Amino acid sequence: MTIVDAQAPDMPLVFVNDAFLKMTGYVRSEVLGRNCRFLQGPDTDAKASATLARGVSAGEAVSVDLLNYRKDGTPFWNALQISPVRNATGQIIYFIGSQVDVTARKAAETALEAAAEEQAKTAQQALADRTALLHEVDHRVKNNLQLITSLLVLQTRRTLDDTTRGALERMLSRVSAIATVHRRLFQSHDLERFDVATFVRDLIGDVSPERDEVAIRLDLERIDINAAQAAPLALVVNELVDNALKHGLPAGQPGHLRIRVRRLNGDYVIEVCDDGPGLPASGAFEPGFGLTITHLLAQQLRATLTFESGAPGLRVTMKIPVHG
Amino acid sequence: MDRPLATPNPRPLTVLIVEDEVLLAVELGFLVREAGCLDVGHALDSKAAVQLADRLQPDIVLVDVHLSDGPTGVDAVRKILEDRKAVALFMTANVKRLPEDLAGACGVIGKPYSDGSIRQALTFLAHCLQAGTASGPPPPGLNLSETFAARWGVDQLARAG
Repeated sequence: MTIVDAQAPDMPLVFVNDAFLKMTGYVRSEVLGRNCRFLQGPDTDAKASATLARGVSAGEAVSVDLLNYRKDGTPFWNALQISPVRNATGQIIYFIGSQVDVTARKAAETALEAAAEEQAKTAQQALADRTALLHEVDHRVKNNLQLITSLLVLQTRRTLDDTTRGALERMLSRVSAIATVHRRLFQSHDLERFDVATFVRDLIGDVSPERDEVAIRLDLERIDINAAQAAPLALVVNELVDNALKHGLPAGQPGHLRIRVRRLNGDYVIEVCDDGPGLPASGAFEPGFGLTITHLLAQQLRATLTFESGAPGLRVTMKIPVHG
Repeated sequence: MDRPLATPNPRPLTVLIVEDEVLLAVELGFLVREAGCLDVGHALDSKAAVQLADRLQPDIVLVDVHLSDGPTGVDAVRKILEDRKAVALFMTANVKRLPEDLAGACGVIGKPYSDGSIRQALTFLAHCLQAGTASGPPPPGLNLSETFAARWGVDQLARAG
């Protein structure tokens, strides 16, 4: 504990107790008559001592953690509290100070901060590593899909038999649909969602120049499905478009293709319509491989598929529950 | 007026393919020829790319970012474009890693691409190079650099994403 004379020039210490002397390493005769700032040193925070000075000149009580120095030069943290003492007329005559050595607490706080910083750094590094790994894997997936696509195209080019060639082309279009999904998946910022409208635009962008006799109309609302559903959905849409262009609107024949994507009453609804010959009169038709996988994938998506007459042509509607 | 003349039979454009996946390069060669261009050479690494560009003076250079000597495609494009009039087009699975200015390339096509998109892109580029201006918005899948979009008069808003 200390008492300073608030009225004397430069506010000297007029009383110190033994605990203060023990804490600071001075003897009483060395400190009485001096202003306490002799305890401050090179690493004392200027802001903390300014807070103290402001309080004193305003005549207020102040509480501040101050880095002080003992007589032998070793630093210690001083939790200092000072309060003014007034005389009968209200003038401040003394400041009473109480000092507690909180070096241990400060050290613990510093260690904790350092640990937190270290932890944050580790977490940041882990995130950076994860992102780099994700990019690497993404890059490999894309390159491998490109390789698979090129292999299929190269083999198609060398295949003269129409049936085999047709099968290879259908397979190429399926692989390309999956490739389009992958190209888009990591382009967006949200890796969890997949933008169906953009996919349809990409898909149609690939086929439309080769079929400029077909008038294509796209009615695309922005819907984002779960990324895990992206590949099966892309395959179904690809089959439906492929089917419309191969059977509904065979090459060289003008016609209309319309694709509509929207959200309606708790479902994502995807419609593919053509104005070709439509379903066979009996309604029964031989399910080819394309139709088989379309049904299987729709099942996987918990979607319902409806084939109906588009009067004229064929309208296929797929409804996927939003909260499937 | 310095408007380029619409010649009935413009000289076919020459294309250099820089790609370390041989099968992709071979297939690209087919697409280049189908687009009415000449497939003049293939390079697997950046050194060969610069040398071939020097020797063949191609009109168009198709460049992958990852080549057999590492991620050297970007530097190869800078070197190739330094003192030649060629136009470079990146084809990469790492579109986001390309520098902002695309190293002076006219655009980028993301992998995996489809045959159709490459054919359309080449047709589009051929028109731009021969007429000095675009025939319309770039085909889907082809992202033009700001510089080239402006040069060929492509409305920025009409550019496909």
